[in-house]
Amino acid sequence: MTGMLNCIKDPDGPKIIVCCGSGGVGKTTISAAIGLYGVLAGKKTIVLTIDPANRLADSLGLKRFAADAQRVPVENLIAFNGEPAFQADLYAMMLDAKHTFDQLIARYAPPEFQKNIYKNRYYQHLSNNMAGSHEYMAMEKLYEIFNQNHYDLIVLDTPPSRRALDFLEAPQKMLNILGYNFFMRMFKPYLKAGRWGVRFLNILATPVLRGVSKMLGKQVLDDFAGFMQLWDDIMFEGFSRRAAEVKTLLAGSKTLFLAVATPQRLPMDEAIFLREKLRLNEMPFGGFIINRVNVASSNTELQGRDSDKVFAKARIDPELREKLIAAHKNMMKMAGNDAQSVNRLIAKTGAGENVLQIPFADSEIVSLDDLYRLARLFESNAAE
Amino acid sequence: MSAINTDEHRIPGDKTAGISAGSSVLAEPANLWMDQLFSGRLVFVMGKGGVGKTTISIALAGVAERMHKKVLLAEIGDTDSIGRLYQDQPLSEVPRKLTQNIWGARVDPKAELEAYVRAHVSPGFIAGKIIRSRLFDYLFEATPGLKEVMSLGRLWRWEKQADNLAAPTYDLIIIDAPATGHAMSLLRLPELLINMIRVGPVANQIRGLQRLLKNHQKTSLVLVSLPEELPVNEAVEFYSMAEDTLNIPIAATFINCVYPVVFSPSDLKQIEIFEKKDPDLSFSPVSELIASARILNRRRIDQQKHIKEIHAKATGHVQAIPFCFTNDLTIDQIQELTSLILRH
Repeated sequence: MTGMLNCIKDPDGPKIIVCCGSGGVGKTTISAAIGLYGVLAGKKTIVLTIDPANRLADSLGLKRFAADAQRVPVENLIAFNGEPAFQADLYAMMLDAKHTFDQLIARYAPPEFQKNIYKNRYYQHLSNNMAGSHEYMAMEKLYEIFNQNHYDLIVLDTPPSRRALDFLEAPQKMLNILGYNFFMRMFKPYLKAGRWGVRFLNILATPVLRGVSKMLGKQVLDDFAGFMQLWDDIMFEGFSRRAAEVKTLLAGSKTLFLAVATPQRLPMDEAIFLREKLRLNEMPFGGFIINRVNVASSNTELQGRDSDKVFAKARIDPELREKLIAAHKNMMKMAGNDAQSVNRLIAKTGAGENVLQIPFADSEIVSLDDLYRLARLFESNAAE
Repeated sequence: MSAINTDEHRIPGDKTAGISAGSSVLAEPANLWMDQLFSGRLVFVMGKGGVGKTTISIALAGVAERMHKKVLLAEIGDTDSIGRLYQDQPLSEVPRKLTQNIWGARVDPKAELEAYVRAHVSPGFIAGKIIRSRLFDYLFEATPGLKEVMSLGRLWRWEKQADNLAAPTYDLIIIDAPATGHAMSLLRLPELLINMIRVGPVANQIRGLQRLLKNHQKTSLVLVSLPEELPVNEAVEFYSMAEDTLNIPIAATFINCVYPVVFSPSDLKQIEIFEKKDPDLSFSPVSELIASARILNRRRIDQQKHIKEIHAKATGHVQAIPFCFTNDLTIDQIQELTSLILRH
């Protein structure tokens, strides 16, 4: 099997790596390590992340992640003794949905309308709280950075979606919500011009709208129509073109999706679900990265073996001996469970998919060098 | 609140090893947190995805059952975790009997919204037209938080439901909350929505909900976390949030998957001396046992740092749930957790 991350080294390899998976599987750390791996291959790389652990920022040598690209001081890698074996640089940036949304408005809307949009309650909800808006904005930022063409490689650490589906369908969903045709067909017949040229939603004109306004109150529809009005007149062109372009970029040959999981049932199911979704949408899937896999230290099975023999020459008191046996059994049990879980994944998805297993680290990742060791694992797995 | 586990001389194999305080065998002490939790009506079990919310929800339902309460286990979200554990059948909107006194149901926000339209819009054919219209689908998808507030509304109606005038149908409703990035967003919704939706039946429902959620006699929160950096960061954020913004008490925090104490400092010292004395050790199977011991001990030390942080910031009861060395708990194993929580 060829190494699944080997293609990163290829000068014509993917320019965008998207790491997907449920929260808590170490996705951000894996993304950072992939970024470092890209840098080792001589590529100028940026890692885009959401809500990272402070510890990861620490380990990268950054005070904290910021909404602007920050250079990671890779020269501090002890492994290279001050003489890095690579020329490329590593950058990190934190994604902020609200910030990106506001930037988008600033880019497309004329200044005199910007204030009205920012003030609109519907906009505030959309940019802050709405399911899918973080996912969409991650895509938006990705597209922007890709087009700036400042980097050889972009690694996107995706927001912790409830389901992988949310993330993949975000651009389309946003387009559906803010899309021109749908909105216009739905509301335009009921829009009437008010004083000062502002159009209002004529709710009384249709029983359906009347019913909905009875349910939710007129205010909601007014806010909604107000926002759509501004959006429609000012934003639509740029926005919808962009959403379509983001979609094309993600499905293209420059992108590679990776599913990150741990051997627990929930993340594994999520990873399989993601792969299915990608296949249905004909999007490029690179493989599974299974993080924190307990690996059996040996084949030593204590079951059925005479522990007296094992300890024959060792003078250890019986109580401690029992503890050691119990602890080892637990380690073996975890390794067995994890192997079973990985085998189930392979059985479910077919042997053709790449599966990269990252052993459970002896200690937490606290330095750039720890991250380097992790990146090296991509290498050694590639040699298999 | 219980003390941090600093004991070093646990008997190996003791099931309660790693639990934050020794269990008292004296006459049942007044357990404030249990009183608060189980004398109310709603318990929201919150936390990041994958921390074990479903496990704790079921274990708590077991505790309530043993207190002779009739419990409804309600699942919000896309997963079928509870149904999968019971007879491998997904739960539905209609509560299903899972054990003697535990019922299970899944909240379907769209069905709830449809019921609302039918209840509040007349004539009926207009209601039907609304439900079938694309605008309805659209508003359902696009109105921020509408789904969530409909889910909360379903809980509210279960809370109000009564077999007869005297007794409610369910004494206690335990909610396995959705795995949102930030668990508090669900409970903040009524407040956010009240700013958007000001009149009409939905607004009235939201106000009713708000009253129920802010009633400390009726509603409390349980937080589930893991002894790892991100879940603990979220937990700490959640504590200040619950106090300042939500104003709903956190009755208890359960820290899941805690590695038990196995090796005392004197054990570790003995291992070290043993290794120094015997250079041939690396060729014997004993070295593998020692390697396993080191790994487990190391992970435990890493976890304890995070557990300490929870203890420092937690409001309410904190309990560690020992790691079972498995990826997937069975119902029987969860029932053991019920006993563990009760013993506490």
